[in-house]
Amino acid sequence: MDHTKISTIEGLNSYREKILESKKNELPTVLVCGGTPCLAKGSRQVFEAFKREFNAQGLAGSVELGIKTTGCQGFCNKGPLVAFADKDIVYMGVKPEHVPEIVEKTVKTGEVIESLGYRDPQTKKWVTEYSSIPFYGHQKKLVLKDVGQLDPTKIDDYISRGGYSALAKAFGMNPDTIIDNIEQSGLRGRGGGGFSAGRKWRSCKAIKTDVRYVICNGDEGDPGAFMDRSIMEGNPHAIIEGMIIGAYAVGSNQGYAYIRDEYPLAIENMKIAIEDARAFGLLAKDILGSGFDFDIKISRGGGAFVCGESSALMRSIGGNVGEPRAKYIRSVEKGLYDRPTVLNNVETWANVPLIITGGVQGYRKVGTKGSPGTKVFSLAGKVVNTGLVEVPMGIPLRELIFDIGGGIPKDKKFKAVQTGGPSGGCIPESLLDLQIDFDSLSDAGSMMGSGGIIVMDEDTCMVDVAKYFITFLVGESCGKCTPCREGLRRMLDILTGIAEGRGRQGDIELLEELCDVLKWGALCALGTSAANPVLSTIRYFRDEYEAHIKEKRCPAGVCRALITYRIDEDKCTGCTVCAKKCPGKCISGEKKKPHIIDANKCIKCGVCRDVCPFDAVIVE
Amino acid sequence: MEKIKFVIDGKEVEAIRDQCVLDVARENGIYIPSLCYNPEVKSSGGSCRLCLVEAHQAGRMSLVTACNYPIREGLEIKTDTSLVKRIRKGIIELLLARVPDSDVIKELAAKDGIDEPRFVKEGGKDYSPPLANKCIACGLCMQVCEEVVGVSAIAMLNRGPDKTPGTPYKKPSEVCIGCGACAYACPTSAIFIKDDAETRGIWDRQFKMHPCSVCGKPYIPEAQIDWIVKTTGKDRVFFDKCPDCR
Repeated sequence: MDHTKISTIEGLNSYREKILESKKNELPTVLVCGGTPCLAKGSRQVFEAFKREFNAQGLAGSVELGIKTTGCQGFCNKGPLVAFADKDIVYMGVKPEHVPEIVEKTVKTGEVIESLGYRDPQTKKWVTEYSSIPFYGHQKKLVLKDVGQLDPTKIDDYISRGGYSALAKAFGMNPDTIIDNIEQSGLRGRGGGGFSAGRKWRSCKAIKTDVRYVICNGDEGDPGAFMDRSIMEGNPHAIIEGMIIGAYAVGSNQGYAYIRDEYPLAIENMKIAIEDARAFGLLAKDILGSGFDFDIKISRGGGAFVCGESSALMRSIGGNVGEPRAKYIRSVEKGLYDRPTVLNNVETWANVPLIITGGVQGYRKVGTKGSPGTKVFSLAGKVVNTGLVEVPMGIPLRELIFDIGGGIPKDKKFKAVQTGGPSGGCIPESLLDLQIDFDSLSDAGSMMGSGGIIVMDEDTCMVDVAKYFITFLVGESCGKCTPCREGLRRMLDILTGIAEGRGRQGDIELLEELCDVLKWGALCALGTSAANPVLSTIRYFRDEYEAHIKEKRCPAGVCRALITYRIDEDKCTGCTVCAKKCPGKCISGEKKKPHIIDANKCIKCGVCRDVCPFDAVIVE
Repeated sequence: MEKIKFVIDGKEVEAIRDQCVLDVARENGIYIPSLCYNPEVKSSGGSCRLCLVEAHQAGRMSLVTACNYPIREGLEIKTDTSLVKRIRKGIIELLLARVPDSDVIKELAAKDGIDEPRFVKEGGKDYSPPLANKCIACGLCMQVCEEVVGVSAIAMLNRGPDKTPGTPYKKPSEVCIGCGACAYACPTSAIFIKDDAETRGIWDRQFKMHPCSVCGKPYIPEAQIDWIVKTTGKDRVFFDKCPDCR
């Protein structure tokens, strides 16, 4: 839509009405998910098919408004997803060949195509309403409300859905009242620390200075985590709006969005959003005629995990090597370029407009007393439904994994859930009723982190898990301080020894000692929390460590040095599939007679077990 | 400068606000081990973690590095608790495993009753110039070169366990002036520096030395004189005599 710079709050309101007016009497807008997983599953082709079909059916006039590529709609493993604006319908696994029928029925007449919906594994019924699909039904979408519902590259979409009205409201408030509101809302940093956002803002504002900065931390580096990416890709204006409100409250005129370079789509969408906001007079000089100036620069991260740590991030923006510094003098006092700086993560900023719009009481209605609001999680690992979910703080882990996540695939047993990224901890089955909030998770030896959830089943070896995360952290330690640089690799040596059958009596205690040195002695949060994966697995799965060390046995059948593959003579039918697939050619036997694995030649790759149709391959 | 009082090991002492704990402890004769910190180098400190002490403030206790912890009102420092000793011992053991050939580290380890580290020792490797097998990757050499000398000939290369000081791409640095400040500042004497009759070898480069016109002893690299003349405008004649003969 044509526009001129909006220079007043009334101008914003009338512009919003104008967009809504122009959209009346149109066919429902098709929303094709353009999140990274759906794109990988071919949603671009689905989008193109819709375009072709709209043209073919003479709906071409509506093409511009009729089909949108949106951000992540959440149910990633069922993609490509297609939804319809303001309608309670979602289609899954959509292919280009489904498109003509969708246009003919759903778009033109509103008829629902059940077979494109979700098949409930229990009831075996097909459902297409969000509320009837457990994955969506148990969620509470506030931050993600518009992600997946709007085209992130169109500022009109955001404005028409009420976007920037929180900013308009904020401009009518005293900056200190805004800080009061944020503090009273109980908003805690969603990046992992869980520090009160309002208190951070207040401390920053209390410092006398001519220049202050606000920063958005979009350097999401945890393996298996994609919450912030999805928000940046799917609704960048919400982050920008939050940042403007924050900047106005603390009195900052310059912001930075630090986004990791591995997120090209997030960078692209944020860039478009910032440029559009500038063109509309929502950034840069005299925003909405308030007299307040603020602008945002994008700073791309170079790929170091540690740059997600606030002080390393600020050094990186400043053009230095991304290494943390001691934060005895906090960054709200001396941050970027030694100026008072407020740094919050993507999700935290996206919460700000919600608090301003809904008010403190409205915001506190969701979540717990100590952790109000919702939390976005990326659900991954051995769980049926994977994807992006938003739930109220305080829901039990069990609900997240079994109701939303649909439980463990292939009827396997749940073993543990790892929360909080590589430096989080593993929580066992006995604590599945633990409620998810900042404090409960830390008490259990894990942490909220930024919201990565990795579910593990009975086939997971906890020593192997600890080894995996410590390997990651050794590679990502910046190497500045002794405990992290030296301690982690020694931990990895010990864990590798245990996994390879060289474990010795006293290894567990030595690991605990090293964890102690890291927890107390390391310079930054990456180091102090790096002990979590080891400590929590020892705490809850000590017997598994002991089995490796004392009995030289890996109970989950994972650690190659400690397992052997054998064929169960009673079950083997002599189908020869395993012998054909074995890369080491170490399985022999006659057709229709039980086969044998030559243990001396076996490389323990597990292919035979994967291909055997009769479950005759046993791991011991 | 605002003077404040704080408590260290039960004793009330005076300090300037934001002065670091380690400096004040030393002024008061309290020993805290430290390697990576040099009071003359502002950017130094915080990496070796040997100077960890307990900081009690506003009802909370944390372990902090004395070399960069700012003294503020209401602070109490304890340098000798069992926690401090336990964590420090762990760090020294890790350092000993990394640089078992360093006399400095061996001495610190002996003080804490560590004979042998429980980890595989890194020693025995054939280390040759520019760096001996004594480097604890604290970064002080780089900080001295950048902040004090103003040259930035060396940087910390790589990250994690592979972190090491070095010249860019491990090739002889064109900007190095051979002053040797890095080797002088190094807490474990890990940087090779060798003065022959007419040349000095450091960081894989040979520097021509300038002899004293009186005693004839070569005492300063020509490149260093060039640098000082260029940056300070000092008269070149000044360098004819060595400090002993001036």
